[in-house]
Amino acid sequence: MSGSSGRPGGGSPSPGAIDRVVAFSALAFSALVYGLTYTFDSVPEALMSGLGAELFPRLVLVVMAILSLLIALGVGVAPLGPMPPLPARVWATGAVLFAFMGAVELIGMFPSSFLLLVGLGRMWGERRLLPLVLSAGALCTAIYLLFVRFVGVSFPRSMLGALWS
Amino acid sequence: MDAFLAGMGILVDPYMLFLVFAGTLLGIIVGALPGISGSTTTALLLPLTITMPPTGALAFLGSIYCAANFGGSITAILINAPGDPSASATAFDGYPMAARGEAGKALGISAISSAIGGIFSVFVLIVAAPLLARAAYNFGPPEYFALAVFGLSMVAAIGGDSPTRNLLSAAFGVLLATVGLDLTTGVERFTFGIYALSDGIEFIPVLIGLFAMAELLEQAAHGNVVKEYIKLSAVKLPSLADFRKCAKAIILSSGIGTFIGTLPALGATTAAMICYNESRRWSKHKLEFGRGAIEGVAGPEAANNAAVGGAMVPTLALGIPGSATTAIILVGLIVQGVRPGPHLFNEQPTLLYVVFASMLAANLLYLVLGLGAAKLFARVTLIPPAYLWPGVFVLSVVGAYAPNQSMFDVGTMLVFGVLGLLFRRFGFSPAPLIMGLVLGRMVEETFKQSLLIFDQNWLLFLSRPIVVLLFALTILGLSAPALAHGWRRLRAR
Repeated sequence: MSGSSGRPGGGSPSPGAIDRVVAFSALAFSALVYGLTYTFDSVPEALMSGLGAELFPRLVLVVMAILSLLIALGVGVAPLGPMPPLPARVWATGAVLFAFMGAVELIGMFPSSFLLLVGLGRMWGERRLLPLVLSAGALCTAIYLLFVRFVGVSFPRSMLGALWS
Repeated sequence: MDAFLAGMGILVDPYMLFLVFAGTLLGIIVGALPGISGSTTTALLLPLTITMPPTGALAFLGSIYCAANFGGSITAILINAPGDPSASATAFDGYPMAARGEAGKALGISAISSAIGGIFSVFVLIVAAPLLARAAYNFGPPEYFALAVFGLSMVAAIGGDSPTRNLLSAAFGVLLATVGLDLTTGVERFTFGIYALSDGIEFIPVLIGLFAMAELLEQAAHGNVVKEYIKLSAVKLPSLADFRKCAKAIILSSGIGTFIGTLPALGATTAAMICYNESRRWSKHKLEFGRGAIEGVAGPEAANNAAVGGAMVPTLALGIPGSATTAIILVGLIVQGVRPGPHLFNEQPTLLYVVFASMLAANLLYLVLGLGAAKLFARVTLIPPAYLWPGVFVLSVVGAYAPNQSMFDVGTMLVFGVLGLLFRRFGFSPAPLIMGLVLGRMVEETFKQSLLIFDQNWLLFLSRPIVVLLFALTILGLSAPALAHGWRRLRAR
């Protein structure tokens, strides 16, 4: 017997269970951050005018803790229904987006963007390579013209670019 | 009067007119894309304004804000997928109208009622904002503190059924606003030795992450589904009989929508939902609602565009955003070095009249574009997600990077994208977090200044009548859902 839904072997939590998990996570987060306020540098008494740097964040954290408790008690919240697991594509997309950060360091903004546009397009179900390549090229060119030539943004230099030069 | 004429002068300045046109066009196109709301559109395009003068940036953002709401109705009517949450109510009757071959008429009445609601609210904005600013001119830090707290308490109403979650989200936003150097003591808070955090968390990457990135990750769950859209032969102007039928809904919704828009945190979506119900309540054809009633399109469309002008009233006059999108516009102003509030009306009145003029022009422009080119705009709904969302990601990266030319900001955007996805899954709205982040610094500064004025005696807050009034409204606002619930239970017995 698992879960409180009463279904033998069922995994769906009872209404409000997810809220309680969220509430206690928020409560733990508030407590942790409250603890961090003790690590702030101290200001000599003679230089203090008014409140210390830690007071306001602490007040906010107390408010957050109270609100978390209210959520745990189900006050002012509509209970969340069963939550389907995230499809694999969401995880894969997230991983690609974070990998993009590394790719920018390695090969530069525009080659990374081009590869991402083609690669993510394929991952999302587009099988025709030519339209993907053409649209990726067009978008990268448009961004280059607008942001680099017109707005004057300079993108980070890649490691490969540095080696090349 | 000189400032008014100077502001209106933008309508003859080719550069400003170009910005208004570009903002309107982009607003309609991006607003029409399902999943990309007005807030996301404004957040994505905000970095483009960094090279513009403040007047240009304001005109551009104001035009996007006006047009994105209308753009959202195109997809609501043609594919039953509102491009903007504020167009959700439009889909209730717009899509059934389109399904029975009246897509052109639905889009026609949508454009006209949107423009009427929008223009009405701009005139209210022109009259009310200076009056409100004048009333607030003598506000001191305690009054501003109470006002900001009242504004934050109103976020409880966003999303409707979970005020506590919204308040927690707003409090988290306020906490994020404390990251960085404390201005009064010079102490670094929550920076973990990261230099980029010394000035606090940058607004733009947070906005893009919470809106665009989170939406991208959510869309990843759906895959490359191309929606079929209902064929549209041409956009038709509603007949005189149609117009007469809708007049009451348009007038009522323009008024209610503007009023709801002026309330901090309540935006176009709430206005549209309330006005859909009000249009039905006052209609002689109640049974048609939900089956393709033309009033069911006119009411919410007038309301959601009227809320746009209304939401700008507290944003410009008090510096308290009236909605998520106005919070983003407020960020745009701060990036430009302009802090909205009562003093702005004395110091830079021309800037404000530029906003009024650009919003007026945008409302007229989308009426013309909406009637003339809706068929073309409708095509954007056919862009397959496999092309659209990777493109949104690349634009988001560039948008987050450009203002400070910092990859740290791109990382911030990604982190907030993941946070935004978690927020959505666990029933939290990102809008209160944005409001908290934008208002957080003001809350802390005014709180500390007030305590200095009061010589650390907290009770002296209660010696200021306006503060007491605002605190009373805050308490009333926070307890209203519980009181209403109790009242309903009592009546049920």
